[in-house]
Formats: sequence, structure tokens, C-alpha cells
Amino acid sequence: MLRSFRLLGALVLTIALAGALSACGSSSKSSSSGTATVTNLMGTAPDFLDPGLGYTTQAAEADWISYTGLLTYAHANGEAGTKLIPGVAQSLPTISPDGKTYTFTLRKGLLYSNGVAVKAGDFAYSLERSIKLNWGGKSFFTENIVGAEAFDKGTAKTISGIKTDELTEQITVSLTAPYGAFANVLAFPSAALVPTGTAMSNLSNKPPPGVGPYEITNVVPNQSFSVVKNPNWAKDEIPGIPAGHVNINAKIDTNTQSEAQQVLNNSADVFDWADTLPASLLASIESQASERYAKEPTVSVFYFFLNTKIKPFNNQQVREAVAYALDRRALSRLDSGFMTPACFFLPVGMIGHPKGSCPYGDPSAAPNLTKAKQLIQASGLAGTSVTVWGETRQPRREYVDYFASVLNAIGLKATEKIIADATYFPTIGNVKLNPQAGFADWNQDFPDPSDFYLLVNAKSIQPTNNQNFSQVEDPHIQSELAVLNKVPSTNLQSVAKRWEELDEYVAKKGYVSVYGYEDVPKFFSTRLNFGAAIFHPVYGNDWTSWQLK
Amino acid sequence: MAIEPAIGSELPGGGLPAGFEGPVVAPGLGPYQLAWRRLRRNRVALAFGGLFVAIVVMCLLAPVYAQDIAHTSPDANHITETIKVGSKSEEVVSAAGIPIGPTWHARFFLGADQNGRDVAVRLLYGGRNSLFIGAVATLITMLLAVMVGLVSGYFRGPIDGVLSRLMDVIWAYPALLLGVALGVVLAVSGLNLGLFQIQGNSLLVPAVIVGVVYVPYVAKPLRGQVLGLREKEFIDASRAQGLGHVQIMLGEVLPNLASTIVVLVPLMLANSILLEASLSFLGAGVQPPNPSWGTMIGDGIRFIPAAIHTTLVPGIMLMLTVLGVNVLGDGVRDAFDPRARIRVER
Repeated sequence: MLRSFRLLGALVLTIALAGALSACGSSSKSSSSGTATVTNLMGTAPDFLDPGLGYTTQAAEADWISYTGLLTYAHANGEAGTKLIPGVAQSLPTISPDGKTYTFTLRKGLLYSNGVAVKAGDFAYSLERSIKLNWGGKSFFTENIVGAEAFDKGTAKTISGIKTDELTEQITVSLTAPYGAFANVLAFPSAALVPTGTAMSNLSNKPPPGVGPYEITNVVPNQSFSVVKNPNWAKDEIPGIPAGHVNINAKIDTNTQSEAQQVLNNSADVFDWADTLPASLLASIESQASERYAKEPTVSVFYFFLNTKIKPFNNQQVREAVAYALDRRALSRLDSGFMTPACFFLPVGMIGHPKGSCPYGDPSAAPNLTKAKQLIQASGLAGTSVTVWGETRQPRREYVDYFASVLNAIGLKATEKIIADATYFPTIGNVKLNPQAGFADWNQDFPDPSDFYLLVNAKSIQPTNNQNFSQVEDPHIQSELAVLNKVPSTNLQSVAKRWEELDEYVAKKGYVSVYGYEDVPKFFSTRLNFGAAIFHPVYGNDWTSWQLK
Repeated sequence: MAIEPAIGSELPGGGLPAGFEGPVVAPGLGPYQLAWRRLRRNRVALAFGGLFVAIVVMCLLAPVYAQDIAHTSPDANHITETIKVGSKSEEVVSAAGIPIGPTWHARFFLGADQNGRDVAVRLLYGGRNSLFIGAVATLITMLLAVMVGLVSGYFRGPIDGVLSRLMDVIWAYPALLLGVALGVVLAVSGLNLGLFQIQGNSLLVPAVIVGVVYVPYVAKPLRGQVLGLREKEFIDASRAQGLGHVQIMLGEVLPNLASTIVVLVPLMLANSILLEASLSFLGAGVQPPNPSWGTMIGDGIRFIPAAIHTTLVPGIMLMLTVLGVNVLGDGVRDAFDPRARIRVER
């Protein structure tokens, strides 16, 4: 009898366990508050979830809807999504006739996600915090705002160019010189408001309160985090920013095969658009999930950086040799055919993208290895050792495998250094490390070529979180940027030709070896309303637009 | 493992004492000769040993195959090339990124990988790397383990206490997790021990990691054996003759551990090859673009639905190698087992 009870108990336990396991496998469930939760898979963890530091697409997606700045972008597909709208500011800024003073008035009655009231002074504090934390794009602030550089160097206690009035809630920002894309800079999550007094340290594991429809919670580093609806966010709190429909559980899954398989099988809801769909599953996805899969164009560039400060890439002939030797069709195949071979730094869709031919051969044709080898021999640097840096994520590691094989084929001596995705950009952004060459990419932060030119702007070189990986310091680029950066985003067409010429110059100099522009997958489970989901031109998947069918 | 005095020499004339029920052995044969005789009669072990030797020889001939037959190198990418397979012209990697399968011809005999590299060439070069790491790791394990086991068991007391706790600490960590942790750190920074420096992408990095991780697995049983040996009369006699500790350890104790060590070597070799494959699969072992069976399996995983050869081929090779070493190792263990009753022809 006892044995029967034991058997019965074991049976009940087994059924209970099976039930629990099957519940775990379900990707969409309702929380106790009644809001459904969807599972968003990410191939790599955000670099930082703290808005004062985050700079990768994975960080920006979550931070954008959790931290609103004075300005933000319209939640819309395509070009409409590049339109700036007022965020925590009541309206778009009043800009002085000389283009150097921006004046805003804060919206009334806004609360942070922890219930604390938003104050005008928080804006100055938030920018100071991003500078102190060494955000990778801090040169957008230090280069343009009066007193920001002195604050960065520690010679000033505050940024003198930012004045706030707690009574009138007015914010005035003074620039050292007109900067046409400055309004876009203020739409960065890193310029979003956090409460005054927030610790001046990396709070990625417990992100600070923000203003937005969502808040980031339950961070398990490199594993998962939750983006849940902000309890202090009322519907239509800020016109143009939707309240969102679901909570999001973001899970890191570095295996893109498993990531794609889970979404295909509906055991997860969203595939990370910044990842590459595995070639082996592409046909299945196109045939079995055509109604929930689409290729979305992005304004992005993929390139290998070449450190111009040290051998061998401080030599023009070696850089030219690399440009001649790269078979960009090969890199497109490694990207499952999602990449369009190219050579210019400014991608298609960005004002200033050159219309002329590439200086070192047609990127869609076979490379000129003979010429490349001749150039290496002529440079006298044949046999020079090169360490090529890359990240583990597929196919980025394969890009680096290919690149190293090309460098070896033309007469250099390349070895690889592959590191984890989550630490890759902070690692190669450490100037002391002086990485020689490696993988890099850039997706537009805002629709202005000056955003891309941060990557070759001498003034953006910083000790940590550096983005100018090639460490380019070219007087011609600097003098051109001094002129072009002043042109307002609304008037970019007037200088399109000059941007084109500058981009052709950069291609000729070979500071970065561009190989293509990428389309990306928008791929959801059957649970989500695919048609209603916005693919934003700056932030990719717009999580506020996700809703269950 | 018991002490094995020279068999057949215990009594004058090589006779056996009355009532002896131990193994029937040939007079005048040493333990190694006897073990070899036993091993020779174990056909299965010899067959698998032969398989292992064949794999080793194939891997050693990798450069010959690469240059004279496949006409490529293990790291050469052929992504946009086309090759003739019979009368048909085929792309090495399709426009959508799918690599070609086995052609059964000289070029891409076992197909290509995602970078358009010849899988057969990488398989052989990967085998060289895997076997090299396995062999070096086994050597490191055995050297360190013998040293620790000898010193720890011979001296006992505080020295034994410190060394045994150190071994316990390493043993308490799952070997794979410890290997991954060390591998990830050393892959970037390399290993710098003053005079002894290893680059992060060197094959010696995974070899050292695997070698160190397995030390307690060998040192512990050896220490136990030394603890028993040090109490034997022949050790007392050595002390009485005025021999020093080092002389006793190396001249008296170590020879009595030899058969245990010989039995453990193939076992550790198989384990080392497997651990290296696991580490490389997880990205903490052999660094790209160097091939190893583990990295090849890891790289091929995402192509399983469309190009299963990229995973299957290195997987089968790994399995055959480990199987060969393990069965041979079992044979060696049986051959050295003094309790085995094997008839010896005179």
C-alpha cells in the first residue's frame, strides 16, 4: 500500500514538474497586473543599461522608452520616425539667430518612475553625469556646450553653458559655435533626465529612475532584464509617446541559431534585429513565417577600423592595399546575403553619401589582390604583425576570420583576438590598449552625417569608451567638420555636395575599410501583431508598439 | 595499485610458494614484458589503438594533404569561388551563405565551412591542434600530479595538508567551469609568469588550462599510493642506508608508481582531448582562426539544418579518437592488473 502511495506521489510530482516546465516554455504570459509579457531575445547584452553610458543598439532600444530627454523622436516607421518631437520640454526649442542658444521650457507635473517630481536642474545634472561617466558620445556635449569641456577636465564644477530656472522651469543651453544637429544630440538617451543626486557611477545593474512609458528592472547582467510599464506614466503624459501595451522580458541568447529557432517555434517573441538570421534557417523562415518576417533597411555602415597611429596602418599604402584586397561580396555572404557591398563611410539613405565610384575598385566585383600585394611590398611593411580584434557573435567573428585571412594573403602577419560581445566595444574603446584593427559598425543615432563623422573626428578620441577606433586625426576632416557641423539638420541639402566630397576623401585615405550597409530582420512570433509593430529608423524595434493579437 | 616486485624472482629458482593462488606467470618476465604480452593478446584494444595511431598519422600528414591534394591552407577563405564538381560548377558558399557539402573530390572532399575553408584540411589541422593540446596537457597533468602526489604522500603532515587542500579546492570546481573561466581570461591577456610567457592565442594556453585542471584527478590517487608505499620495509631499508628524501622518492617510490602512471596516461589523454574540445566549443580553448575539433563543431552548429557536415565530420573524428584512446587505455589497465589470470605461453 505504501509503495502504491509512493508511486502515486512520484506520478503527481512528475506531472507537476512537466506542467511547470511547459509553463516556463511559454513566452507570452500575463502578469498579476494584467499586462502581458513578451520575450525579446537579444544576441548580445546591452553595453550599459545606465542611460549615462549606454551606446549600443541593445541599450538604446530599452533606454529610449525609459529615459526621455528634452526632445525625442516620433514613434513612426521610416522617415517619419526621424522627426524630432518635444519630450520633457513643452515644445521644440527656441534657437537664437546666431544658432548658439537653445531655450526650452520643461513640461509641468512630470514624475520620474519613482514618483519624484522632475525639475529643470535635473537636465544639467544629467549631462554632467554622462560626461563624468565617460559616455562614448560625450564629445557631442564637450565639443559644443560652453563650459562642458572645462567640466570634463575638472577645471569647472558645473557646465557654465547650461542655465536652469526652477521657478519658470526654463532651460537655456549655450553653444560654443552653431552645431546643426544639436537638437538631435539632445534626443540621445544619454541626454535624458535622471534625478539630481543620482550616483555618478555605472548603475547598469539597477538603472536610475527616468521619465518614460517604461522602466528597466530585474537586471541580471549578461542574462536578462525586464522593461515594465512605468506606474507613474499616464496615458498621453507626453503627446506622441505611446504608453505601450506589454511588458518586455529581454533575454540574452548569444546563439543566433537558437534565437531564430525559438521565435520560429513561438517559444520566444522577438528576434534581435541587430543579429543576423542564420543562413541555414532563412529558407524555413521565409517559407513558414513570411507573414511575420520582413527585411528592413537601416542607415548603417559596417567596416574594419585601422589604427592610423601605429604600424602598419599609419601607412597610406597599407590602408589602400586593404581597400583593394577586401572582397565585399564574401562579407555579404557571411551576412546571409543581408549586406550590400559598399566602400563609402556615409551609407545610402544619409545625406552626403557619394554617388561616384569607389576609389579602389567596384565593391560588387572581385578584389585586386595583385595590386594589394604590390602596395604592401612597396610600403616596406610586409610581414608586420597585426592583431585583429573581433567579437564572438556570429557572423562578426567570421568577418574577422575573413579579414585576418585577407591580411595574411597580402603579406601581413595577422592573428585574431576574439572577445565576448558584451565587453567588445568597451575593450577596443580603451585607447591605452591601442587596438590595431578590428570589426566595427555604426547605426545612425540621428539623421545627420555628423553622427557618423564622430567616428573619424579627432575631437572624439577619449581615453575610455572611445568610438574613433582608427584614431583618425586629419586636419582636412577637422576643418570641413568645423564648417559642415554648423549647418542645421533642416538645411543639410544645401551642403550635401560638400559632405559627399568629404566622404570621398575619407574613402581615398582608407582610414576605415568599409565593406557594406546592412538590411536587418524584423521577425516576430505569431503572438504579436506584426503589422502594428513599428520599425524605427533610429532605434530599430519600437517596443511601445508591440501588442498581442 | 599494489607493489610489483620482479615476478618470478621471489624464491630461489623462480618457484612459487605452496598454496599460491596468484597469477600464473612466466618465469623471468618483468612486469612491463608481462603487460605487453597481455596487451598483445587483447585484439580489441590493439585494434582501437591502431585506429588512434592511424588518426595521429593522418593528422601529422595534414600539410601534405593541404598542399598536394586540396591545394589550400586551413585558414584560406574561398567564399566567392566556384569549383567544378564533376561536370557541374558550384559555389563554395552560396549567396545566402550556405557552404558546399562533401564533393568527394580532392578539393573540398568533406565540404566547406561558412568561410569557404576546406573542412577536410581543417579537420586534419584541427586534429593536430587537438592532439597536441591533449598530449601537452596530459604531460603537464602527469608531471604536476606525480610531484604533488609524491611530496604530499611522502612527507605527510603540514606539507600534505596544504597540498591536499589546494587539490581539494581545484577539485571542488567543476573542471569545465574552471577551464572556461581560465580560458576566457587567458585568451585575451595571455599567461605571464615572468620568464614563462604565453600569447593569448597560443595553443599552449588551452594545454596549460586543461593540464592544470586535471592535476587533482591524478595526484589524489597517487598520493594515496605513496602513503602506503612509504610504510614498506624497502623504504625503511633505504632510510637505514642513509639515502636522502629526494633519492628515496625518485629512486624507490616513483618506480613503484610507474604502472599506475602508465595506466592513467591514456585515460587522461582522452579526457584532455574532450575537455579541450568542450572549451574550444565554448570559445575558451583554441582561438580562431586556428582550427580544433571543438571550434569546428561550435562553428558548424548554426548550419545543422542546411550543412550538417560542418558539425558531423569533426564530431565523428573526435568520437573515434576518444574511443580509440579509451579502449586502448582499458587494455593497458587490464594488462597491468596483477589479478588478471592470463595464460602465458612458454
